[in-house]
Amino acid sequence: MFVRPGRAFFAWITPRLVSRTAVMAGLCVAATLFAQAPAAPANAVAGVPATASASPAAPAPDSAVAAATGGSAAPASPAAGENAVHDHAAHKGGGMAGMARDQMGASAAFDSRGSAWMAAVEDGRVTVRRSGDLGHSWSAPMPVHQAPEPVEADGDARPKIAVGAAGELYVTWTRPLANPYTGFIRFARSEDGGKTWSPPITVHRDRQEITHRFDSLTVGRDGRIFVAWIDKRDGQIAKAKHENYSGAALYYAVSGDGGRSFQGDYRVADHSCECCRIALLPRPDGTVTALWRHVFDPDIRDHALAQLHADGRADGFRRATFDGWAIDACPHHGPSLAVDGHGQLHAVWFDLGPDHPGATYGRLRDGAVDGLRHIGGVSAEHPDIAASAQHVAVAWKEFDGERTQLLAMVSNDAGVSWHDMKLASTAAASDQPRLLEREGRFYVFWNTRENPRMMVPLP
Amino acid sequence: MKPITMKALLAGSVALLLSAAPAAAAAPISEFDGKSLAAIRSAHAGKPFVLAFWSVHCEPCREELAQLGAVARRHPDVPIILVAADPPRDRAAVTRILGSYDLRGVQQWAYADDFEERIRYAVDPAWRGELPRTYLYDSRHQPEGHTGAALPALLDPWIARQMLVLKAPSKN
Repeated sequence: MFVRPGRAFFAWITPRLVSRTAVMAGLCVAATLFAQAPAAPANAVAGVPATASASPAAPAPDSAVAAATGGSAAPASPAAGENAVHDHAAHKGGGMAGMARDQMGASAAFDSRGSAWMAAVEDGRVTVRRSGDLGHSWSAPMPVHQAPEPVEADGDARPKIAVGAAGELYVTWTRPLANPYTGFIRFARSEDGGKTWSPPITVHRDRQEITHRFDSLTVGRDGRIFVAWIDKRDGQIAKAKHENYSGAALYYAVSGDGGRSFQGDYRVADHSCECCRIALLPRPDGTVTALWRHVFDPDIRDHALAQLHADGRADGFRRATFDGWAIDACPHHGPSLAVDGHGQLHAVWFDLGPDHPGATYGRLRDGAVDGLRHIGGVSAEHPDIAASAQHVAVAWKEFDGERTQLLAMVSNDAGVSWHDMKLASTAAASDQPRLLEREGRFYVFWNTRENPRMMVPLP
Repeated sequence: MKPITMKALLAGSVALLLSAAPAAAAAPISEFDGKSLAAIRSAHAGKPFVLAFWSVHCEPCREELAQLGAVARRHPDVPIILVAADPPRDRAAVTRILGSYDLRGVQQWAYADDFEERIRYAVDPAWRGELPRTYLYDSRHQPEGHTGAALPALLDPWIARQMLVLKAPSKN
């Protein structure tokens, strides 16, 4: 049956009431303290490949490669009966107009020649579309996989797309399994502009039916493909030993052969948040910087940074935000990260800490955040960020009581001064906005029910 | 998209009063839209109630679901209104998950459409959708927001205080 979060520290909720806006500071007084639980390892950066002992149920280490080349390694039990969470039209016969709408989560990226590409879920499959006119029109959907499989595309989960230097298309998604909150990270590639795709492979070697979810995808400067995800294998081990384990863990894998195979199950850090997107940023030296919502002791869900190397080393772990949001909840509200022409990191994130609750911008440096700025109004949510030279753009959405507004703020002096702008609005459901940059110009990709696949250039 | 009628609300209240009887079938799930909170408040005018949001995508919500039914049955005079913050396409999942817990005595609702920002805004403009999220409405319907699972340690003492207030002689 359903797996209940077997975390004893849920029991700590204090009876203290909290006002509707000042959420939670100090509410989640460490359960672990009350429970006299053994201290969890403090936010370790392992930086070493997970070994067999870290994943007892994992099959032979080369299975990911086998799956990549042969495409025949069967993933674990496909979603069935109990996979209620992820029902959608395709699993109920599809085509029942009006009965079930596809999830709206979508991603987009530019290739080096200026075409825009997007990945979404349509009729139960991950699909890709191309636009040669900056999003004014899109091609028909090209299915990435032939056999339908469930795909997570709600909240902070959605298919991802990235483009290689020669126009190769890479797509990842999370395929939910039978038990709630479990999944596999799937990958497929196309070398002919989306017409044909490699059979999907599972990126990670660990094949337990546990959380491997919230895939994130980027292509490093030297063409290597980095895939990161939220992983609960270490939590499973702790559970078997009756130990507490906060949150999940952050893992990644790397492909040096264009996605034919992945090496990995490299652990970045223990104690990530369970359900927020991971920001990945390729750096000039071929590494990738990751920014994610972390669980700092005792239950502070601020953000952490680390540097992911192609060889599986993950170093430079450090706390990136300092809001002190003490909470045990499911924000589905992960961060975004960009770098300007001087190598300065700019980030946007969401927190309900005591000082500046809401969507927040800041420049990340060691041990502090500079230029902290509250984004938008009280209902601003899901900010995304991009940067180019000294220009930085942030886009988010905000419901005004009637319509959901797509808003942006732009800085032309690397985040010192900003001006706000309204870009679009809708009076129906909408996805989170995504900011893209091409040749110094910014574009917001926004999938809305009224106006699907909208691409709005920033002035 | 059906509007919530007063009759439906009253039926819910009656069901609540009869909650000591075992539920023969799964409780019906009412549609929660931007007007539902106002309807719920008027149906429970002058009385405290608990408005609790969860989602099929929310892992920390499960602990709350596991315990909410017992809270409701301990305090039959204070309605507990449980709302799935999930669009209609997830209704089968909502039903299945609710069915796996003993939620007799808890009123069950789910979002009526997928324009969830509008529904959320009507409840609390400052709520960004994090779950579990609970609003404790006292008898004057002043809500107190709470993020994190609404467990008995939170609900039992709050409900006990509300009952004391209700039973206290009016000072007017």
